[in-house]
This record gives sequence, C-alpha cells and structure tokens, in this order.
Amino acid sequence: MTPTSLLRLLQLADSAIPIGAAAHSFGLETLASEGTFHPGNLEDFLASWLEEAGAQEAVFVRRAYRGNASALNEELSARKPSRESREASLKLGRRFAQLVNSIAGTHIDTDVHYSIAFGAAAAQLAIDEDLAVLAYLQQSVSGLVSACQRLMPLGQVAAARVVWNLKPAIGRAAAQKEISCFTPLLEIASMRHPLLETRLFIS
Amino acid sequence: MRQDPPWKVIRAFGPLVHLHNVSGGILAGDRLSLQVDALATMILTTTGATRLYRHRPGAEDSEQCMNFSVGEGAMLEYLPDTLIPFAGSRHSQRTRFSLGRDATLLWWEVLACTFAFERLRISSAIDICGKPALREDFVLEPSKRPLTSLARMGNSTHLSSFNVFSEGRTNAFWSRMADELRKIAPERWGVTVGIGGVVARALGRNCAGDLAALRNAASLLLTGKPATPPRKVY
Repeated sequence: MTPTSLLRLLQLADSAIPIGAAAHSFGLETLASEGTFHPGNLEDFLASWLEEAGAQEAVFVRRAYRGNASALNEELSARKPSRESREASLKLGRRFAQLVNSIAGTHIDTDVHYSIAFGAAAAQLAIDEDLAVLAYLQQSVSGLVSACQRLMPLGQVAAARVVWNLKPAIGRAAAQKEISCFTPLLEIASMRHPLLETRLFIS
Repeated sequence: MRQDPPWKVIRAFGPLVHLHNVSGGILAGDRLSLQVDALATMILTTTGATRLYRHRPGAEDSEQCMNFSVGEGAMLEYLPDTLIPFAGSRHSQRTRFSLGRDATLLWWEVLACTFAFERLRISSAIDICGKPALREDFVLEPSKRPLTSLARMGNSTHLSSFNVFSEGRTNAFWSRMADELRKIAPERWGVTVGIGGVVARALGRNCAGDLAALRNAASLLLTGKPATPPRKVY
C-alpha cells in the first residue's frame, strides 16, 4: 500500500467524516433509555455486535470491493428488517458516495448502503481490500462509542479504552466470510426507537 | 399431495391444514423436507412444538428444509408451534418463501432457547417476484457466543417473530399495518415496515396470545375479515 493510499483510507475511515453518522445510534438510544445498557457492559456488547452485525457488514464491504454493488444492495436491505437502521445505512451510504465522488472523482453508485459504498470506494481507489474492511469496522465501532458518550456517563479515556480493547474482535469480524447475524434485542430496540418520547438521534 | 414418514398431513376445516411429525421430534441425523405450493388460501400449522433432540456422536446435524411457493393471488399462513432445541442438539433449519404477483404471506415463528443446545443454524428467506424481501442467516452456539449478551437476547429465552408480506401493496398500506400492529402489547413488541411487508419481533415468554392478536389485526387489514382460528389450544 502506498503512503497516499494509506492516507486516503485514514480520511475515509475517520468517524468524523462529514456524512451525518453522528446523528445515528442504530437502536442504542432505545437500549440506553430502557436502562439495560450502561458503561459496565459496553465493551461486551460491542464485542458481540462485532461477532454478529459487524461481521455481516464486513462481508458486504468485501463483496462490494469485488463488484456488483446493486445486487448486493437489495440483499443487504433484506437483511436489515428495522426500517430506521436500514434507512440510516442507506442515507450514510448516499452521503459517503456523494462525498467521495466529489473529492476523489470516483463513480460510486449513490443509492447503496454505507458498507457497500465503502467497499466500492476502496476498490476504485486501489486501497487494499483487507485493510479497507478493518478500517470500516474500526470507524463503525468508533461511531457507536461516540454515540454512547452522548447516551451514558462515559468519559473520553474510558471510551478510548473500549475502542482500543476491541482491536482483536475487529480483526476476527473482518476475517468472517460467512453471513451470520443474530441481534434481536438491538433490532427490536431500533424498531421501538420512533416511539421514544425524547430522542437525541435519528435512529 | 404426497407425504412420507415422519410427516402426516391432516386436513382440518376448509383451508386449515395440520402438519404432524409422527416421530415426536427431530432426531440426530434426521433429514426432513417440506414442499408447499399454495394456489389459493391455505393455513398451515403444526400439531405441537418442533422438538430437536440431543446430537448423537457420529451423526450429522439434523436438518429441516421447507420451501413454500405462494402462487398468483394466493394467501399462505404458516403458523408453526415453538421450535425447541433440547440440550446437546445440533440442527439446521432452512425456510424459503417465494411469493408471486398479488400473493400474501403471514408467518410466525417462536424460538425457545431454554436448554443448552450445541448448535442451531437458521436460514430464512422471503422473495417477492424473485426479489429479496427478507433474509436472515444465523448460527447460534451458546457455549462460544453467549445468547445472554445484550446484543443478542439479553435475559430472554424466547424470540417471537411475526411477518406479513404481500405483493402489490403501497408503502402507505404497510405504514398503516405497522401502526395497527404497534397497538398490540407495545411494551413487548418492536414493529417495523420492511420491504414489501411488516416485521414484528418480541423477546420474552408468553407471546402466544400476542401472536394471535397480531394475526387477527393483520388479517382484518388484508382481507377485511378476522383470522380463521387454528382449531387448537396454545
């Protein structure tokens, strides 16, 4: 990987990239509001999330890297039963693709999920496939932890430690080749999110 | 209609069909398959829970493959009893629904994870006119990946799902359907608009009454009539 490719990947996988990711909790806000989700179980939760939803997203980053984004997109939509999380993923994908097309001159389909847009961008920019998958998961975890900092009493050092400790779990999720995702509690939380009386997040 | 042991198909009343596994459960190494072609209205249920028995050394994982084809304008309700993997069981379940034009599907499923099973592989798919509407694939191995994680089932042992899909309906119809279903036990259920349908899920025991109420509400919106009783006591 060339230094330029590495720097491009670091920018694309920065969780602060301006695509609106900070507005989404993907159901975490509901779990936190129900009192079952707190700093004490955050790391365990994210380790399990990586084994399930994280690994599924990793498979789609990898498949998108290898092509046929449109067909993949229909399948991934069908794998996201909760409308809020599905639409959040599509919205982030659209903004990410528009941003990268604008700044890098790529031609990524703008009507795809975030993971698919990310994989397609990495391929068009000749970024290493394995590193792209790892970087996508790293920024996904960072984004979720950032959301948690606004949902629960989680300090900056504790948040950084959680992300640091999850590196081996990110590596295992990135290596997953078979789709297997079982996150019913989180899915139900996402389905119930529109019913919360006060909300910080869109999803 | 063709039926081979251990399946026994029992016609009940009108469109209602009871599917009975005469062996009393699924044993290690069993390979069961079911092919259903619904051309009109059909309500398919089981006569009892699907019990998955302990794995036997040297045997392959038991397997159940079910393929449902719902023809043009037809309506299938598939309402099986609870799936119970017993301690030490290893099983794979594959369920496929293929809906044609103006076809409708109501499908519920209850998974009871009350015993220390070894492995449960579930693969489910709903296609509408050849396009994916719902996909679900997961492998549960509680000894390796605890089900009690907050990302999975938390403190619950039972997962119930209720799915309604129909070709040719508008998004406004599905939003209305979701609003109606949300009125039923909202403290337990999550309800959302899927792709060409509505998906509802709940964690916790004792959701059988909720499922019947969800089915009835869905039936009223889809057909204008209440659901046909399944002629059994849950």
